[in-house]
Amino acid sequence: MISLGQLNLDSETAFTLLPELVMLVGVMAIILIPNLGNATFRMPLTNLRVPILIGGSRFETTNDPRMPNRIATATFAIAFASSLLMIDSTSEEVGGLLRSDAFSRLFSAMFIGALLLVSVATTHRIPAKRNAKVPADGDSEAVTSRKMAALIDNRRQVDFHILLIMVGLGMSLMAMSTNLFMLVVCIELASLSTYVLVAFHKEEDVGGEAGAKYFIVGSAASAVGIYGMSLLYIWSGDLSLDALADKWGQMQGIDPFAAFGIGLMMVAFGFKVSAAPFHLAAPDAYSGASSPISGLLATASKAMGFVALIRVLVMITIPDFGEESFWFLMLAVVSVVTMSWGNLAALTSENPKRMLAYSSVAHAGYMLAAISVVGSGLAGEEGTRIILIAITFHLAVLVLFKLGAFLVLSLLETEGGGHRMQDLHGLGKREPLIAGSMFVFMLSLAGVPPLSGFLSKLLMVNGIVSSSAGTGSPSTTSVYSWIETVDPVFFLAAAIVANSALSLFYYLRLSLVMFFEESERPSRLKSAPSLRMAIMACAALTVMCGIGPASEWLVGLVTTSIDSLLG
Amino acid sequence: MSESKSEAGLLVYILPFLAIVPLMHNQGWDSSEAAILIVAVPFVTFPVILVVGQLYNGHDTWKNKLKEGGILALGALGTSLSAALWIIYDYFDALPDFGDQHSISQWLEWVSFDLLQSDYTLTSETNILGVGVWVDSVTLMLLFVATFLCFLICWFSLGYMNTDPINEDRNHRFYGEFVLFALGMFGMVLADNFLWLFIFWEIMGLCSYLLIGFYYWKESAAYAAKKAFLTTRVGDVFLMVGLFMLYDIYGSLEFSVIFHDPSLHGAVDSAQLFWALLMMFIGAVGKSAQFPLHVWLPDAMEGPTPVSALIHAATMVNAGLYLVARMVPFVDVGHHGVPGLEDLGLIVAYVGGITAFMAAAIAFVQNDIKKVLAYSTMSQLAYIFTGLGAALWFYNHDEHHAAVVVFGASMFHLFNHAMAKGMLFMASGSVIHEVHHAHDHLHHGHGDHGHFDPQDMRNMGGLASKMPITATAMMVGSMSIIGIPLIGGFWSKEGIIAETWLAALDHEPLMIGPAILVILTAGMTGFYMSRMWFMTFAGEPKSDVVEHVHEATPWIKEPLIVLTVVSALGGIAFALLGATDYLSSSYGDAGHLKLHESTLMESVIYQLEHAFLPENQNLRLVGWTTILLSFIIGPVFAARIHGGPLSEGESATPAVSWLVRISGKFGSQDVSSLSESDLAEALENRLYFDDLYEGLLAKTVLPMASFAAWFDRNVIDGVIKQIESNSVSGSLQIRTITTGSARDYILMAVVGMLSIIALIWGISS
Repeated sequence: MISLGQLNLDSETAFTLLPELVMLVGVMAIILIPNLGNATFRMPLTNLRVPILIGGSRFETTNDPRMPNRIATATFAIAFASSLLMIDSTSEEVGGLLRSDAFSRLFSAMFIGALLLVSVATTHRIPAKRNAKVPADGDSEAVTSRKMAALIDNRRQVDFHILLIMVGLGMSLMAMSTNLFMLVVCIELASLSTYVLVAFHKEEDVGGEAGAKYFIVGSAASAVGIYGMSLLYIWSGDLSLDALADKWGQMQGIDPFAAFGIGLMMVAFGFKVSAAPFHLAAPDAYSGASSPISGLLATASKAMGFVALIRVLVMITIPDFGEESFWFLMLAVVSVVTMSWGNLAALTSENPKRMLAYSSVAHAGYMLAAISVVGSGLAGEEGTRIILIAITFHLAVLVLFKLGAFLVLSLLETEGGGHRMQDLHGLGKREPLIAGSMFVFMLSLAGVPPLSGFLSKLLMVNGIVSSSAGTGSPSTTSVYSWIETVDPVFFLAAAIVANSALSLFYYLRLSLVMFFEESERPSRLKSAPSLRMAIMACAALTVMCGIGPASEWLVGLVTTSIDSLLG
Repeated sequence: MSESKSEAGLLVYILPFLAIVPLMHNQGWDSSEAAILIVAVPFVTFPVILVVGQLYNGHDTWKNKLKEGGILALGALGTSLSAALWIIYDYFDALPDFGDQHSISQWLEWVSFDLLQSDYTLTSETNILGVGVWVDSVTLMLLFVATFLCFLICWFSLGYMNTDPINEDRNHRFYGEFVLFALGMFGMVLADNFLWLFIFWEIMGLCSYLLIGFYYWKESAAYAAKKAFLTTRVGDVFLMVGLFMLYDIYGSLEFSVIFHDPSLHGAVDSAQLFWALLMMFIGAVGKSAQFPLHVWLPDAMEGPTPVSALIHAATMVNAGLYLVARMVPFVDVGHHGVPGLEDLGLIVAYVGGITAFMAAAIAFVQNDIKKVLAYSTMSQLAYIFTGLGAALWFYNHDEHHAAVVVFGASMFHLFNHAMAKGMLFMASGSVIHEVHHAHDHLHHGHGDHGHFDPQDMRNMGGLASKMPITATAMMVGSMSIIGIPLIGGFWSKEGIIAETWLAALDHEPLMIGPAILVILTAGMTGFYMSRMWFMTFAGEPKSDVVEHVHEATPWIKEPLIVLTVVSALGGIAFALLGATDYLSSSYGDAGHLKLHESTLMESVIYQLEHAFLPENQNLRLVGWTTILLSFIIGPVFAARIHGGPLSEGESATPAVSWLVRISGKFGSQDVSSLSESDLAEALENRLYFDDLYEGLLAKTVLPMASFAAWFDRNVIDGVIKQIESNSVSGSLQIRTITTGSARDYILMAVVGMLSIIALIWGISS
């Protein structure tokens, strides 16, 4: 038995933490295995090589630059399967800071699933090239691009995948945290890794700049959030979520320390979910990063923010039903601004990645609107449950179609495209299956039945509308009197519907150019079989999770997890 | 012949399809589980044909080995046929188990989330979208008709469509839509609730549009397709309203719920139910091309001939009859039916009688071989409607015995008519195809197209010697339609006419209208069907093209031969097995196909006695009048005008040569003065119904449509364009905030943070 502070790592705990331990082992393996046989040991994420006494040159297999990717993919696959299986198991406390229950396991499955897709999608970026050099100023364009290609695909793969697994570790532990301190630390673990991943192509100007901006704004937001957390600590003297919730329940009126603390934490979490006006760095980061990483930011990273929001807003300040929570108005305003801003900005975006980034902002707005209804005091116990189910379901299926859309762009990146609308021109002729999948993703993002995006939006709007359903005076004579008397919550649903209508415009425009414009390049794209497989899987699941038994299964899973959260 | 031999090898490709059902049987599956195959296999096949056809258009294997998808279609329909046969076999084998429970399985539930249904808005009390199978004797009969004929027509199409150069590289569209059409009919027949019935009904509506407009570049075809679609749409709207009303009454559309106790112990208002059923009947009128929604059917001949066969025999028009047949439980007062619905029966019978007479009259002057058949279809379906009307009336009057007889006869006539008409259309297709072929052959390079119409019977004549199989098939089919004693339709038509008269004489004086109309129509049928045959096959050739006609195209003969046998012997065979009793057993005691008497001979005598010498003296008179009119007077007049021996040196096959010889024996009659009369002109103009409708549409719908178009263009589009331009300018403005500088981003975040603090300050203090 190993003891790590409070944590006694006996066999039972080990089983409870299986996905995390698997990822830990994966990191170790990626650090060790590529060095096997070599006389020096490369410190990960650096250029330092430490001589060790035995060995010569590396083995054939350990020399293979695809090795880290394989290890990472296998790690994620095992971790994904184990966390998926653990959704049904009972809730377990680990070391006072973590709890493994259906809710946290559903989210860790979501995070790791997204990472698994990213990992599968990056396989094709790894041709065996060694001794890559940074392009010098005087190089010709051809030389620069050749050097660049070699550079992107060199042995920094090890670093890339270490970071990827660290993101997974951070996110997965974050979902399990029962302590606000642990929660923030895990968010930072995941966030710092994503900052580096965004800037991973540091030799390209866009990547470096995007990473730097994302890092600066993110750190500022985190700092504010941590300041808010310290206010909460002053107020309560304990950062455990249960203790905070108890304290909140006993509070008379609203203590400004607590309210400001939570308000400031909203800034940090608002940045994570890219809510307006904290979202501004997101489009830059999305377009600067490689597409799979952008997809990761848009799905897993966003889901992480929502877990934090749910934990803090719903679980700590769990509203007395029938009474409006202090954060209702704030969140409602933010949500409407966010969804409108996202959709409006996406409308004229000429870069598909930026467009998807703004669409992701808009989706955050929809989900924030749904959360704010919980705070309106109208939802009641059942309404809260339904809204949380809707949000969680949306986050889960978002992994499929938002990440899927980014993976399609990633396929275009293999020929250097994916940054302009023109790159998508004629994709329907060049790659009918890929274009068809992209079309499915776009329709699902827009919320067209029977795709999963429709179902999740339906669940959300259903939750909001049914919460406000009883409020309007049932006047049969005048619509106006109904509008005057109905609770403003109803108009959140109206805003979602109106925004969805607006969003159709740019989703369909992207689809349109794929099928009705002529391509500049008539040839087929690179084969990249694993990436294609990931895209197809996403498309198939997008359809299946919208209708039929698979969707019922997923809704059942989400319901279990929310029930375990609400106890 | 050599061509035909080499292509028979292609049938190997359909073997895997045919193997599915035996394999399932071997694996211990139940036939009720195979029911899904009837719809599912075509449903999977049709997109495959369309997509693969689009991708590999013109590819050698696709074109020659798979016949542009025809072989796949044939295979899929073969699976449906074999699964249907399996179900039929099981049904007879395990009849007691089926017993009262007609619905053999419920296998799919539409997505239903407890979440949405728990206590929120999207609750529904009964799951109206559940899919299941409803099997009773009517279902089985229609299922057999549909699967069997679709299979044969598809087979026929392999010859008819694929050898015509005009269809080249387009046939995948034909076969894809053909299969979808077929599955629409299969699904409609099997559906166990009215909603799914309606959905499949609409699939057929769509496919009829697509297939009638197969030659969409021809203006007449595009027009005909639109006309068929819009006319049936009128009926469909009424059907939909009827279904809404039905749902309002019963709170469900499932057969098992509704049919179990349609009166709900007297709680159902008969007037409301009457209107619901009437609305549904109008839907059936549209689908089955009855007066006054009959105008689309003759134009539907613009589609390829197999499509005509499909619409007229196997699928579409039978749907309306099926729907009316499904109304029986509502009116059957012996089994919880709602009393007071006699008027419905009268209306149905009148619509049937009027259509029967009118269509037969118009058929007198048609010269296009397919048009004659089209009007004949209308007329024969009208018989069935008349019979169903009488059956509804009897059921509602609790005259159970008479009701059962006439309902069974009507359904049996549906069977006989479908078999005969399917064959007649294919035979006419064979004629048209070969005449066209001969014409192309003869005038190759003369650029003489356009003047010659291969469908015009005035260009034919004397084909009996050139096309022996087709001539025989057509003769048997016509006889079945006419109701020549002992052949095909005779056994069912007699029953309809006799029982309609029984209703008129013994019970309801108003029934006399349909009764007179149908008996007159019997004679007229004798005339126009004989006329068609004599014009085509007897007499001397009326154009040089006809001299060069040969029966040479592969795939065409086999379905004709099969259906000739079925049409000739099916009637008497099933009559001996008590088909009428069996078919009307759905709503009473469980039925079974069996001999009426203990031995075959006694049964034959019983049936003959029943048909020719019924006990009721009135019926005996009616029966013999019908025989006289249809068997003697009609054909003899036709022979006098159009009959005649073949030209010198030609000899027909023995099967038809006797008829050719007889047709010359009645002398000849010149009817040119009659054919120039006002009546003939009115008939040629289809009694001006088309003009009337078009005039009405121009006065009513078109002004409204142009107003709607104006409103759409200016008001709605205007609003949308305004929204669009506002959104775009808003978008451009909001994007200027995204400067790309991290300083500005942080500034915005600070603004956001301060707003949050301000909001909280405001609320908490």
